[in-house]
Amino acid sequence: MKTDMRKPMSILVVEDESLIAMNLEMILEDLGHSVIGPVMTLRDLEQMLEGDFRADAAILDVNIAGEHIFPYARRLADLGVPLLFASGYGASGISEDLAHHPVVPKPYTEEEIAGMLDTMLPA
Amino acid sequence: MVLDRNHCYVAVNKAYEKVVMRDREELIGRNLFDLFPNDGESGQRLRQSFDRVIETGEADTLAYIPYDIPRPPELGGGMEQRYWTAVHTPVSGKAGAGRYVMQNTVDVTDIVRLRQAASLPFRRAETQLLERAREAEEQHKALMSESAEFRRLFQLAPGFFAVLTGPDHVFTFANDAYMRLVGERQLIGRTVREALPEVSGQGIMDLLDEVYRTGTQYQAEARRVMIRNVESGELQETYLDFSYDAIRDTKGNITGVFVQGSDRSEDVKRQHRQRLLLAELNHRVKNTLASVQSIVAQTLRSAPDPATARKDIGARLAALSKAHNLLSAQEWASTDLAEIIGQEVAVFDPERISLDGPRFTLSPKASISFAMLVHELSTNAVKYGALSTDSGTVAVQWKEEPDGNLKLIWRESGGPPATEPAGKGFGARLIESIVSGEFGGAFNPSFCERGFSCIVTIEADKLRGVKVQT
Repeated sequence: MKTDMRKPMSILVVEDESLIAMNLEMILEDLGHSVIGPVMTLRDLEQMLEGDFRADAAILDVNIAGEHIFPYARRLADLGVPLLFASGYGASGISEDLAHHPVVPKPYTEEEIAGMLDTMLPA
Repeated sequence: MVLDRNHCYVAVNKAYEKVVMRDREELIGRNLFDLFPNDGESGQRLRQSFDRVIETGEADTLAYIPYDIPRPPELGGGMEQRYWTAVHTPVSGKAGAGRYVMQNTVDVTDIVRLRQAASLPFRRAETQLLERAREAEEQHKALMSESAEFRRLFQLAPGFFAVLTGPDHVFTFANDAYMRLVGERQLIGRTVREALPEVSGQGIMDLLDEVYRTGTQYQAEARRVMIRNVESGELQETYLDFSYDAIRDTKGNITGVFVQGSDRSEDVKRQHRQRLLLAELNHRVKNTLASVQSIVAQTLRSAPDPATARKDIGARLAALSKAHNLLSAQEWASTDLAEIIGQEVAVFDPERISLDGPRFTLSPKASISFAMLVHELSTNAVKYGALSTDSGTVAVQWKEEPDGNLKLIWRESGGPPATEPAGKGFGARLIESIVSGEFGGAFNPSFCERGFSCIVTIEADKLRGVKVQT
């Protein structure tokens, strides 16, 4: 797999459901990346972004305990972090100004995540 | 003569005094029906005609009415047979004084008598004239009752109707449904711009002008119109189906606009809610599938053999499913903590596992998470702890602490001594993730001689789903 030849990345994971977060963590670790988080609440995310935050990419659940991730997604985009949305709503649930970022529909497979990371971060 | 709305004489002239054989002093201020009682059909017709004029403000004609009047005693007393025609016209009083009826009546008794005699050929023309007057009266009555019936139907129709007259669109009619739509405001006699200032800016005036000018019908489907609520003063979103049709006079000239339609707001809002609900359902189904995927993938990875994996996957999916059942029964609003725990440990002997705690409401998210948490704890007890022996017991206690935390204690005893495992399995990681990751709480396990125990501490409001400031 192409991804195996990449250098490991630090990827921020924001997902409010434990089971799903644990699965994504496992997928990313299997792909050789390290996970920042998983961050499961917006309060924790806020705290994290207040500091000197950097990541090679971020995979964001759209709905965190009933609230949209979009304000935080904009801040991450401003920091130059490549974004990947993971959403049960599909691409239609993404705020218009963020719609150019890729979306992976839930449930997703390891291959889908790997493929998405490839397109986001061309060699 | 002129009557007030109670049928009392307000004014009479000489001709009237003469024809009814009474002086004005006997008439003014007295009720017509007291002076000239008539319990028959004629009495009713006369009364109805007066009342119609008062009510509608429009003139009314009685072309022919037999109405006997009492003869004054000095003229011999008794009743005198009389026949009349009468035109009743509304007369406005001073501001706020209400309406009066003016009656212009002609005593046609002589003509009738001649007709009854019917033998004199040279009177024929007059009797024919009277006959025509009588027919006209019949037709007029039929028309009046027909239009009254139409009016009543329009008034009560479920759709809204209004008639606008003239180039400025003055309301001349609005039915009950129209009044409900715009709130109880003064419409009749006012222009649309005056009566409904808030809709003037929404393109409505241009549409009305266009229909009045060109006569072309306008139709709208589920058009959004903001209407001010008369009571709260706030603009309210409505969705209306409506049409504007030009009203023409007999020469074909446009005299006004006929407005009809129905309020579709509830329909449109229901469709909107349904779309939201479908999107939400889709989101939940996808998330649930992702949870199932995670359970399968991670159980397969940690299980020592396929048979164990199959059993563990089945049990975890069942735990997830049971939590959904409880939520579904509560219309996905909330569940009670005791029910979530009770449902999960229901397979065990109640002698072996005790629950003790107050009612505590869990949000949907917390319900699913707690179901999984309790499932992992009890699975662990069955595999390695108190429930792996014949006599071990588990005590589960919870309470809300004064500091706002929910404290749940899981205490096993009577089983083998507990030893801390070398690595963390799926269950332990899931519990950690739920307690500290999802809810920012603390999970404190303890492995003792007596058995396994743990304390879960989480801010109560977070479990209830109360929004907390981030």
